[in-house]
Amino acid sequence: MTLGGYEFRLQRRATLPGWKAALFSILAVLFGLALFSIIFLQAGQNPVEIYKQIFSYAFLNSYGVRLTISRFIFLALASYAFIIPAQAGLWNIGMPGQLYLGALASFGVVYLMGGKTGEITASQPVIILLMLTAAMLAAGLFGAIAGFLKGKWGVNEIVVTMMLNFIAFYFVAFMIKDGGPFMNLGGRGESFELPEAARAPMTGGFPITLWIVFILMVMLQVLFSRMGLGYQIRAFGKSPAAARYAGIKPFMIAVLVFSLGGAIAGLSGYHYFAAVPGVYKIARTYGYFGDLAFYGVICGLISLGNPVATLPVALLFGGLSIGGRYAQGKLHLGFGVDYALMGVLMISLVAFQFFYNYQILITKKEKKLDVAISD
Amino acid sequence: MFRTKKKNGDIELHGDIWKHIQPGEVVLDAQGITKRYPGGVLANDHIDFKIKAGEIHAILGENGAGKTTLMSILFGLLQPDEGEIYVRGLKVRFRSPEDAIKMGIGMVHQHRKLVPAHTVLENILLGHPKSRGVLKLKEVEDEVMALAERYGFEIDPRARVWQLTEGEKQVAEIVKALYRGAKILILDEPTSALTPLETDRLLESIETMTQDALGVVPFITHKLPVVLSISEKVTILRKGRVVDRLNTAETTEQILAQRMVGRPVIFNLQKQPIEPGEPVIQVEELSAKNNKGVMALNKVSFTVREGEILGVAGVAGNGQHELAETLFGLREAKGGRILFRGQDITQASVLDRWKLGMGYTPSERTEVGSIPDFSLVENVTMNYYFDNRYNHRGFLDYGGLRKLTEQVIDEFDVATPGPDVPIRTLSGGNLQKVILGRVLSRHPKLVIANLPAQGLDVGATEFVQRKLLEARSQKAAVILISEDLDEVLSLSDWIAPMYEGEIVDMIPAEKAQKDIIGAMIAGLHQERES
Repeated sequence: MTLGGYEFRLQRRATLPGWKAALFSILAVLFGLALFSIIFLQAGQNPVEIYKQIFSYAFLNSYGVRLTISRFIFLALASYAFIIPAQAGLWNIGMPGQLYLGALASFGVVYLMGGKTGEITASQPVIILLMLTAAMLAAGLFGAIAGFLKGKWGVNEIVVTMMLNFIAFYFVAFMIKDGGPFMNLGGRGESFELPEAARAPMTGGFPITLWIVFILMVMLQVLFSRMGLGYQIRAFGKSPAAARYAGIKPFMIAVLVFSLGGAIAGLSGYHYFAAVPGVYKIARTYGYFGDLAFYGVICGLISLGNPVATLPVALLFGGLSIGGRYAQGKLHLGFGVDYALMGVLMISLVAFQFFYNYQILITKKEKKLDVAISD
Repeated sequence: MFRTKKKNGDIELHGDIWKHIQPGEVVLDAQGITKRYPGGVLANDHIDFKIKAGEIHAILGENGAGKTTLMSILFGLLQPDEGEIYVRGLKVRFRSPEDAIKMGIGMVHQHRKLVPAHTVLENILLGHPKSRGVLKLKEVEDEVMALAERYGFEIDPRARVWQLTEGEKQVAEIVKALYRGAKILILDEPTSALTPLETDRLLESIETMTQDALGVVPFITHKLPVVLSISEKVTILRKGRVVDRLNTAETTEQILAQRMVGRPVIFNLQKQPIEPGEPVIQVEELSAKNNKGVMALNKVSFTVREGEILGVAGVAGNGQHELAETLFGLREAKGGRILFRGQDITQASVLDRWKLGMGYTPSERTEVGSIPDFSLVENVTMNYYFDNRYNHRGFLDYGGLRKLTEQVIDEFDVATPGPDVPIRTLSGGNLQKVILGRVLSRHPKLVIANLPAQGLDVGATEFVQRKLLEARSQKAAVILISEDLDEVLSLSDWIAPMYEGEIVDMIPAEKAQKDIIGAMIAGLHQERES
């Protein structure tokens, strides 16, 4: 393409250093914010003021920060649940269902120990450990269904995980509503509240699940960059045919990534309903957290499956969802502005990934005769 | 007479620029074509090239010599950074193949660009001006048939492309180009997928074309004898430059190869006599289906011993591919068994076969044999991630793997900026060297090489073949699957011509005759016993 005597050409990059990728993401966020400020200006608001409100509440206000971190943990776990199958080229969009299976299983442990009606006698670490294990097991098995069907008969994993979400949703309804076993004694259409001993302890004002996120980051990073198993997953993701030729077993990979992804999604369910102060029960509005889990897909895609890069992305969107909602209420902005802002930022981030693969070369164009005339 | 003018960069023609064409007139003249790729690679460095009406002028060069780039520029797929192209003295600029086609340039790709589910006729019509509005299929069919008859092509216009052999697909592509009015025909590796018989026919057809004052430009890397038999002139490219222009009458295969590679090439590979050892693989009545569910491999039996090369010869689609995949466990055996060093491995997994000492280099090098986005190191890892020497309790020793990759690069003379670049940046020949090097570095007891030299230039071909012979000297058994009879004849100890899923005969190398084997793979020599 030429423009004003300059020639613009696209060139494919061979490699991209990590710092450049990070730089492009930051530019993308700034670009997205600048773009969205047009909407604020249209509404007669000062965008700078709004962004100040959003970010200061999300990242500086002591109450807001706690909410942001809670949301961050949830999103990070949901992203990891997406990333692991994504590295194998498979799509897990069953996080909403898997997280509810996890939450139900950990509540089930408490229920079986008699925690619904009275106090539990077992010690807190034992209960917490059992709850975590149960959450991972149940959600992992639930996820493995999709992996099994994919590996055995090649059934589309997107359809399966999505349909399983519905099953999980109705299962939650069965358990917590209308006389279900986990129903709150007050009959408010939500689950019983966890007794003191079954609530996740806090460290430095934050739930212990924050540590799980960091530990998982390290583990996943090691898995994918150092371990033979991670290599097999990545190879299968890049080229199933080549992986099969190299002796990698597709069935094993499919079942494994969906079990792991499901188990981590289960942890995010545990986190929101058993580790966040002020919740400690499966809320009536459970569909909301299901929707929120889909942001895991977005965060996973934006970070291109990199476990380390996932964290800043999850933090940004966790903070925006908290700060955006706050600013919307405080400044009387239009309904859904917070989600619209997040949407624009996502598109901007994804669009800027174009520059991960291409660079634009601008050269001054020399005068050239295109077609001569001859007789 | 005719005139072009620029209107939004479009070429507009008034009148037929191909009127009154005289044999011997320069029809295409490319001057100083230069193309630089990112990273400073000079793919074409001031290439001058001329072709006259009624002339066959071959362009010869190794992979990476700049042939593909030049071809793409002449056909409008790429724009040159410098240089000019004249068609019948008219300066042109091709912004897309559409422009090139309008100016009478036709191209027959090595990798066929046809829609498999459509008929030959529908494919010929695709993109043709007559495909607009109501299709006059009957009229087009008559015209196509007349064209085919003129040039001696046998073609069924109503056959679906997927039913055709490689040779028939090529004919369809040529007819398509001619029907679009090509006066200059660019042929990319025209004989690489053909049987000897089909090759002869094609050459006859090309002869007829030159009588009609068409200019024909075959681009060739591999089959030098074809260059000699077909063309009058040859332009040799090396490293993006024209290194020579020769009249074929005054040259030999040796001279061509030497000019092309830049060093003498030994055509008679030194095959040392080796006493064959124990049987490595015994195949008994092995059968398998192809992807369409049809029995494609029919009760095939053979044995290969240590230090032996079995050459499986055949035209594509006669069961060789299914044989290779079934032997390596990538395809289910529907009958029979495979013994590897006495052990029944018919049901063994692919991973077990690697561990037992089998090795396979697939013909689909980018789809199966390598992972394009992975680095060279990660591609070498494909054969080592399970190996205790490089996998310590689940952790991969990437340092060691990197060293191993550097050894492969070194020993196999791979041209690459380093072991960490994505393997997709390598040329075809270098990619194959990495794949073969990776497999042979495991010192397998059996190597199955599926079309190991297909599409490679003379230098890389010789290299790959020498490496297979080296494996043989080290007492490996080798199954060489090839569509190139010369390759099979020069490397093998035993030759197994395949036709329609069956091995027609097992012929020891010293008794092999090219014409008889050529007839066998064409299905013309079924009953030999009589």
